[in-house]
Amino acid sequence: MIAAYRVSIAAVLLLQPLCIIAPALGASQNEVVDALGRKVEVVTPVRRIVALNSDAVEVLRILNVQDLIVGVFSQIDADPQFWGDLVNRRKVGSWREPNSEVIVELEPDIVLAYAKTPSPEWEARMAARGIRVLRFELYRIDSLEREVRELGRVLDRKEEAERFCSWHDLWLRRIREKVASVVPRPSVYVESYGDYVSAGPTTGGDQMCVDAGGRNISDVMAIPFPRVTPEWVVAQDPDVVVKAAVSNAKYGAAESGAALNRVRDRIMQRPAWNLIKAVSSGRVHVLDSSIWVGPRAIIGLAYMIQWLHPGLMADLSPEALHKEYLETFQKLPYKGVFVSDPVAGSDGKCP
Amino acid sequence: MRSEAVSQGYIARNRQKKLLLVFAFLLLAMMAAVGLSVGASAVGPLDVLESLFRDTGRANTIIWQLRMPRIVMAMLVGFGLGVAGTVFQAILKNPLASPFTLGIGSGAGFGAVVVIIFMRGGLYPQLAAASAFVFSLLSAFFILGIAKMKHASSETMILTGIAQMFLFSALSAFFQYMGTMEQVYEVTFWHFGSLSKAGWREIGFTSLMVLIPFPLLVRRAWDFNLLATGDESALALGVDVERLRMWGVIAASLITAGCICFTGVIGFVGLVAPHIVRMTMGSDHCTLIPASGLVGGLLVLAADILANTVWAPQVIPIGIMTSFIGVPFFFYLLMKRTREYW
Repeated sequence: MIAAYRVSIAAVLLLQPLCIIAPALGASQNEVVDALGRKVEVVTPVRRIVALNSDAVEVLRILNVQDLIVGVFSQIDADPQFWGDLVNRRKVGSWREPNSEVIVELEPDIVLAYAKTPSPEWEARMAARGIRVLRFELYRIDSLEREVRELGRVLDRKEEAERFCSWHDLWLRRIREKVASVVPRPSVYVESYGDYVSAGPTTGGDQMCVDAGGRNISDVMAIPFPRVTPEWVVAQDPDVVVKAAVSNAKYGAAESGAALNRVRDRIMQRPAWNLIKAVSSGRVHVLDSSIWVGPRAIIGLAYMIQWLHPGLMADLSPEALHKEYLETFQKLPYKGVFVSDPVAGSDGKCP
Repeated sequence: MRSEAVSQGYIARNRQKKLLLVFAFLLLAMMAAVGLSVGASAVGPLDVLESLFRDTGRANTIIWQLRMPRIVMAMLVGFGLGVAGTVFQAILKNPLASPFTLGIGSGAGFGAVVVIIFMRGGLYPQLAAASAFVFSLLSAFFILGIAKMKHASSETMILTGIAQMFLFSALSAFFQYMGTMEQVYEVTFWHFGSLSKAGWREIGFTSLMVLIPFPLLVRRAWDFNLLATGDESALALGVDVERLRMWGVIAASLITAGCICFTGVIGFVGLVAPHIVRMTMGSDHCTLIPASGLVGGLLVLAADILANTVWAPQVIPIGIMTSFIGVPFFFYLLMKRTREYW
């Protein structure tokens, strides 16, 4: 009896330190290189994530780690159809100025934010509470794969990350290879949000235009989103006009391209724009912001290559690509309209 | 003998004011000619002259559909804001009063923000303009409502206007806070102000809003002069002060709303144009009202020409450029003045 008692006490003495040490033994440090090129130490496994923007949440769903999300940006409420159950997660405020108190209360292992927003001061406040902030530009097509891989590695979802990156890379490479030898490159006026606000150098829109085999007429600008005069666009006489519009439509709600067609028609009716080749040949296209930049930028790119080089990639169907993305990586059915209809009577080619 | 000298001095001053008015008008016309002759395409002064008399095809389209509407809108908006600023300063007897001090500009901004954030304003810019117009008038009527209860004292109106300005600014900021990155971009660019969106249809509407109240305001110029001597004196000389204030706010608000609903916020002109005129021509509202309009037109037109040329092909937003050229000029006059003018 006494012997058994001694054995059990010895077992307890042996097990107690193990119980304390074991979880820590399972944890390890992982170094992540973020969009600013910084090496950020993250304790893994990551169990609690706060995502401050839609691109981050979408990528987390690609990696199939949506269950780890404990806090989301407040604007997620605007589209419950797309985000599903995620709208019920704790809201942490705006992507620009999140509520630090709520985030601290959620005790996340990491917070995913854009490269420059929120401010470095806010990040310092988070760091003081032991919360790591990873800054990623998940809206840029040229850095998306690297960042998804980096996130996949730190979240132990390498396989999911690789599956998406392979799919993304396959199409991106095919598109780039196909357009590499195409000459001449059509000149394109890429208009961002706001009338006469063009997508200048270093922007996602500029990158997409170049990838689609176009020459962005605004790549001579000194700032990313310059306002230009209508006359300057007329003087440049672009072959194609591409406009990104914020339709604010809930996912799948648009049954026709009517709203985007109205934007297209308004552009075509701008004073003196009948002098522009793109307008006279009906090569004016509008795409929804959801496929403009972000993880779905490849879909926007697929549409752009059809508009800039009709017939060049006959095997590339933007709708099919979009369907595949939504069904495979977001587990959502494909529905909705995301681009304006072609102008009646236009063959999509330069006059 | 003495009264003859006084009246001759008065006539001479009047002549001088008229000459200054003519000079301002000629300067505005010259500036307009410069504005018509510069642009991104190779359409120069000779093309402009030619297109005034016959259809020159492409050049004609560029001049009549792009440059002319922008120039006309710049003059109209500057004129309107200058006149509205003068009226607000007169009825509130405050040198800091302007369409924006009373929250009318913030009201317009809030109207545009509501549509951009909640009603797909990016897709429907006319809706944003309509909302900006309605909200700027609503803010004016709110001031009138409060003022009516407190017998239209200038202090009540200013305090209500400032409170309203902060309220609308806070509401706009709150809605932007709720907006997505894309919507925030759209709101930001709306607030920068732009004349590029002006077409002849918009000019038609703005000119109605500006040019119909204008002669009515000039007709009441003597009443504004009497108001400047004090409410009691004006009342004693037969001016219905309360009615004049109410009517002045309505007229100046209509002008402001008509000016900024299509162009976005072009601040500062309404504040500075009347002061520039007071420093150079005195405070007689018979000349102050039209001259402030002309100076406002000059300021916005000059700002527009510089905005489109100094950093071409980028355009510096008109709201920013107006302050860039107006503030140094204002300081210059302020430092040069030798007597109190207010």
